[in-house]
Amino acid sequence: MSSSSRITLSRSTAMVWRTLRSMRTALILLLMLAIASVVGSLVPQWPNSPERVIRFQIDHPFVGAFYGRAGLFDVYGSWWFVLITTLLLVSLVACLVPRTRAAVKTLRQRPVQAREIDAFRLYEERVVPADPGRVIDGSRRVLRRRMFRVTRDGEGGSALAAEKGALREIGSLCFHWAFLLLVVGVIYGKGTGFTGRAVLVEGKTWIDAQANYDGQLRTGRFFNGNFTGVGIHLRGFEDTYRRSGQPMDFVSHVDLLDPQGNVVRSADIRVNTPASIDGVEFFQYGFGWAPVVEIRREGALIASEPITFVQDTAPEGVPQLAMPWHGIVKLPSLHPQVGLTLELWPDSRAWLRLRTSGEPVAMTQEFQPLMFFKVFRGDLTEPSSTSLDTNVMRKAGQGVVGAGQTVDLRTGGVVADGGSGLTISFPELRQYSVLQVSRDRGVPLVLLAAILVLLGLLPALYTSRRKIWVRAEPNGNGTVLKVGGFALQRKPQFDEEFSKLVDAMARAAGGVSAVGERERVNSG
Amino acid sequence: MTGLQWGRLSNDAFNVALFSYIAAMVGYFAHMAFRRTPFWAFARAVAVVGVFANVVCVVTRGLAAHRVPWGNMYEYSVLLALLVVAGYLLIVEGYFRVRTLGGFALMFAVFTMAIAVSFLYVGPGPLVPALNSYWIKIHVVAAISGSSLFALGGGVLTTLFLVQDRRERRQVAILRAQQPPPIMGGSVGVDAPPDFVADADEPSSSGASRRGMLPSAAALDRMAYRVIAFAFPVWTFAVIAGAIWAQRAWGRYWGWDPKETWSFVTWVIYAGYLHARSTSGWRGRPAAVIALIGFVSLLITYYAVNLWIVGLHSYKGF
Repeated sequence: MSSSSRITLSRSTAMVWRTLRSMRTALILLLMLAIASVVGSLVPQWPNSPERVIRFQIDHPFVGAFYGRAGLFDVYGSWWFVLITTLLLVSLVACLVPRTRAAVKTLRQRPVQAREIDAFRLYEERVVPADPGRVIDGSRRVLRRRMFRVTRDGEGGSALAAEKGALREIGSLCFHWAFLLLVVGVIYGKGTGFTGRAVLVEGKTWIDAQANYDGQLRTGRFFNGNFTGVGIHLRGFEDTYRRSGQPMDFVSHVDLLDPQGNVVRSADIRVNTPASIDGVEFFQYGFGWAPVVEIRREGALIASEPITFVQDTAPEGVPQLAMPWHGIVKLPSLHPQVGLTLELWPDSRAWLRLRTSGEPVAMTQEFQPLMFFKVFRGDLTEPSSTSLDTNVMRKAGQGVVGAGQTVDLRTGGVVADGGSGLTISFPELRQYSVLQVSRDRGVPLVLLAAILVLLGLLPALYTSRRKIWVRAEPNGNGTVLKVGGFALQRKPQFDEEFSKLVDAMARAAGGVSAVGERERVNSG
Repeated sequence: MTGLQWGRLSNDAFNVALFSYIAAMVGYFAHMAFRRTPFWAFARAVAVVGVFANVVCVVTRGLAAHRVPWGNMYEYSVLLALLVVAGYLLIVEGYFRVRTLGGFALMFAVFTMAIAVSFLYVGPGPLVPALNSYWIKIHVVAAISGSSLFALGGGVLTTLFLVQDRRERRQVAILRAQQPPPIMGGSVGVDAPPDFVADADEPSSSGASRRGMLPSAAALDRMAYRVIAFAFPVWTFAVIAGAIWAQRAWGRYWGWDPKETWSFVTWVIYAGYLHARSTSGWRGRPAAVIALIGFVSLLITYYAVNLWIVGLHSYKGF
């Protein structure tokens, strides 16, 4: 490499560094961050609502493909969002390091004497009947009492230099450094943590292990793969509503278990009231019905499980709870294989009302539940436990079973006891609770950073740096007290503070003599 | 009294407040137009009556619903209007001693309340479980105080600053044009007609005098800055309190929900404003434009996110 190109390189590095340090760059990056965030709130986001992203891609195939490639469906995880944030943080550090160094230097330095104090924006002279030594002592006391840092020098200690308001810069630095801490906390917490969902039927226990999560489990980039093995047992779930159908409360009554399976304690999980054990937190997320379905062949039980039912999204104007619930039963051991689709009406009065008057009614409680079923024979091709491909199967009967009844699957008739062939029973209707399970060890750090942000902000906005110089010169048998000063911020407030300070200093020196008072406020 | 009676009283108080604000707004504008102190005295008295009615409206609403009266968009709007008018009376008239800006602050309150009663009204009722937390008291109070201060500083005062700044610049330009250039010996200014200033400034003289009563651009800029500097930590606290609540309710302190995103965007824009104001070359008009963009972002955070953008805060009905 020739020396000239090295010079160009170092020069351009210096230029990049200077550009990054400038406030202009920081401002532009801040505004870019704002615009990127706006885009993320207008385009559906994959992590927040995947179903809306899919619908968007179906409705707008061309634009959707472009959006997908540009990362617009996951703005906050896209490379360019990370790039803007990183540049902003680099610019922040580039700006903060020299500022912090300068602040430390200023704090270590004693306030410096000024040469000509009558040139400052604010300047006053008072004649006081005391000797210069006492005047300076009194002034120093006044300034110290008001939290100024004061140095005394000059001939015979007749000059003071005072400073106040270093807190402004300290607050500003605290505010900005706290941002870095915040980002560190977020990366640490999200990186080492995970979040997923647990589905628990009443009376069942769930263990924190990878296989037990329902649907997508999101783990951080640095997650070590070790789940805790803690457990949670759902004793019961309650949902209560007002007469208007507005929900009042959702509660999961649970026992929390340690990895050995011992009950550590009981808890009620509500919306806004999570429970936690070993750093794993459980949040109330959703709920649903889980009828216990028993299938018998020639009186022998071949399937007996509570099955978690789901709802279709209600069309506009229909209450969500007015929709029936759907579930699937698969019997792969039979030849030919058998699949059942089930439709549950937890409150049979709602079904009757819909049939007779066409009016949808929200089902907020259990009342003589009904379950409609359809039987299909053929090959069970779908591996999923929540869907059944009936296209390759043959319909082989349908019917309805009420709570506590047993019904013949082929004829649809109620069977008194035992029965022959295939029968379905509906002994019990339970509920299930969906809990969001997550671990985020960064939360305390993020909270600390947020508090520091706020604590730093207050002095950074509301205090000001101000400097004051005092001289005492002998004048006959009295002293001329000369005070000059200026404020870097909040100048109008300082004008007032300054004249009060001068009054206090004059008083501390033994009052103002009637003659020779001079006051001047320099402009600019 | 029963809940129903409290609710009815709340609605009556709402009407009194709204009509008082309209009357006060007209009074303040009349004061600007005709420069007669009685107009101002009338307007302020009516505005104070409106504030009292507004307080009654909020308190009785809470009594009717047996909970804090900021559980839905309607209640939030009513409280926002109250804080903007009260903030104007205390900060601008009480602290800064400026009387001429009332019409603008009240216009904001009147719009907010009119939109609330026309599109957002719901009867008093209990909260949905998701909103039933003591954090609603903390988060919403901070958010509403921050919004009302931003509306005052970033919306009303900044707009007036831009108007006044433009006017002052024109006056300076005209004065420069009238003054004889130092070398030419001053033949330009002599030819200008005597009523040149008024004509160039405003087509109608009443308009000119109306705007002539505004505080100077520098004073408006300072006022806007101080109100925004006050609002910024309040808003920061509101966002932090919201994150704490989100951690308890949804298991994550931040999830880029539209409301979170837009409150962050508003925060970023005002952070930009505060930085711009301490950077040479960005002071004055550029900073004011940023503050105004921040105000638009605030309106989107408040209205659009709740009503049109799908997310966890889309609780229009409740």
